[in-house]
Amino acid sequence: MARIGRAHRLTGLLTLGCLATFGTASAQIDPLEIIDQVEQLYRGDSSRGTTTMQVVTENWDREITMEVWSLGDDYSLVRILAPAREAGTATLKADQDIYNYLPKVDRTIKMPASMMGGSWMGSHFTNDDLVQESRLINDYDIELSFDGDRDGIVVWEFTLVPKPEAAVVWGRIEYRVRQTDYMPLAVSYYDEDGELARSMEFSDFANMGGRVIPRLMMMRPADKPGEYTSMRYEDLEFDVDIDESFFSLRALQNPR
Amino acid sequence: MLQSPWSRIGMRNLGRNPKRTILTALGLAIGFFTSVVMVGWTQGLMNEMVDNATGLVGGQIEIHDAEFRPERSLYDTIGGRDGIDVDQVLAQVSDDDRIIAVAPRVYAGGLLSSGDSTVAGMLMGVDPEREVALSRFLDDLTAGRLPQPGRNELVVGTEMARQLESDIGDELVLVASGADGSMGNDLFTLVGTYRTGLVEIDSAFAVLPLEDLQALVVLDESRIHEIAVSTQDPWLAEEVAAAIAATLEGEALGTEVVPWSELNPAIVEYTALVDVFYYVIIVIVFGLAIFGVANTMLMATYERRREFAVMLAIGATPGGVVKSVLYEAAAMGLFSLALGVAITWPVMVWWHNAPPDLTGLVGDIEMMGSVVSLTMQVEYDMGFTTMVAVALMLTSLGSALYPAFRASRVPPADTLSGL
Repeated sequence: MARIGRAHRLTGLLTLGCLATFGTASAQIDPLEIIDQVEQLYRGDSSRGTTTMQVVTENWDREITMEVWSLGDDYSLVRILAPAREAGTATLKADQDIYNYLPKVDRTIKMPASMMGGSWMGSHFTNDDLVQESRLINDYDIELSFDGDRDGIVVWEFTLVPKPEAAVVWGRIEYRVRQTDYMPLAVSYYDEDGELARSMEFSDFANMGGRVIPRLMMMRPADKPGEYTSMRYEDLEFDVDIDESFFSLRALQNPR
Repeated sequence: MLQSPWSRIGMRNLGRNPKRTILTALGLAIGFFTSVVMVGWTQGLMNEMVDNATGLVGGQIEIHDAEFRPERSLYDTIGGRDGIDVDQVLAQVSDDDRIIAVAPRVYAGGLLSSGDSTVAGMLMGVDPEREVALSRFLDDLTAGRLPQPGRNELVVGTEMARQLESDIGDELVLVASGADGSMGNDLFTLVGTYRTGLVEIDSAFAVLPLEDLQALVVLDESRIHEIAVSTQDPWLAEEVAAAIAATLEGEALGTEVVPWSELNPAIVEYTALVDVFYYVIIVIVFGLAIFGVANTMLMATYERRREFAVMLAIGATPGGVVKSVLYEAAAMGLFSLALGVAITWPVMVWWHNAPPDLTGLVGDIEMMGSVVSLTMQVEYDMGFTTMVAVALMLTSLGSALYPAFRASRVPPADTLSGL
């Protein structure tokens, strides 16, 4: 879900793109500064959107429609709208914790630390993806590894390697950003052995809620060919009127 | 033996210094006792270890879909997506006199939650009646009773109950990914707790009726992950597994039949190692004894130098003297053996039937996925006992070889003239 949040936050990149004066002859590119500015742009944003998540696995595929709220980096709330059988099921991320509300039994359970690496709602996203709060510039050394044309698009590629003391899951992350408007195009996650673990692609860039964002995110696990989770924004608005109380356990159980 | 003069001389000499004879015999007898009891006790431990590894939870043979291990995926049920006629396959598998019980199982990873506590665990769906006949961990619940089908009841290990801060009668929320991708969740009542002594089981396994778990994870009733089988003797598992595999081959279910020795090879290897160790015990115990006995025999023969000299002087052959000493050693061996059996047998019977329980001192010990308790129960092993008896005799005879040789080389004239 941090990916969703990140997508929200990445919308600010358009603004950055307009303000920035980096050209393709980007001899002065400072990867840290770019990532940092991107992250600064995210802060303080609140949003509300509707997304459709499609999960395709070897054994089943299903589509879930959900409403998503976020406030800054610390809070997000996802509530399932469809299918009817699971409607009302909600996930709250508050700081480092994740809670699931289960309407069938009218109970809220807190996700134990041992399950943070587990699948979220059966998708290829993990619970950890929801709470990932690490700022990339804090946890990773970032280098520009490519500057040029990829499939007809001028891009930067950044290689992120975790700092020795950083407690992060990945051994390396490769980030591809479109130079013209600073839109993310793809992120590849490698494990500690340097093997590709999963990859995410962004596409369908469109104006939503006054900002251009990639409407479609596609996560593919490397070890399960043919499987993927896609997340598509149906609508999205920014700077909505919600505060921290919206993200309380009580609110989780009693939706407005 | 008793017909020969040499044997009579040998036997008679045992009575020459009864105290010395008894002390020497006691040395050998205690060696016998030590070896037999130590090995009996070790075998008791090994038996318990194998027994607990196979009988406590797992069963001695497991039947799975060939793809099930090692990932233990929810989808890899026996017979694939279509499943099987569970009752029919169970009947087919259990049609073997060596099999005591068979039981179907369904597994699913899930979360259990109570109040503010949530733990990740393995949900195990069982047929309670069949499971009790097969495994032991549900036989004596530490509290409560077994779950009944259709009532959303479950039992958990004592450690999991502690982590969940739950008692009998409390409601637990179970959450597990369904086979259709949904997030199955429901309320269950905790009706019992069990304890195996293995923390990885007591903290991780929640047991509920098969059909309730199938409903939670949206599996059809024909879909199960495992058929566990128990046999009369753990060491029969491999051949029974082969027989089951042959039976099931005709069904073309794509199953694998795995005996415990394949699931837990460490225990098999350890058992083999311990078997070798038994010989080490014999060598150490009698290796120590042989010097003691040799010393005694040497002293005894030295004392009788004049006797040997007379024997040799009146025409006895050196071979005859050697024989007389060896007969003495053999008689000593037999006497020691009788003494050893007399000491050992009652203790073995006692510790086999009413073993001294040291668990209060050290508690249960976890080893290689099994658990053993220091109940000091000894097992009888006639083969090994016979081997120890032979070792005792050889020790006695072996320790007499040098003294016998020395006795046969006594120079008669010099010895008798006092030189």
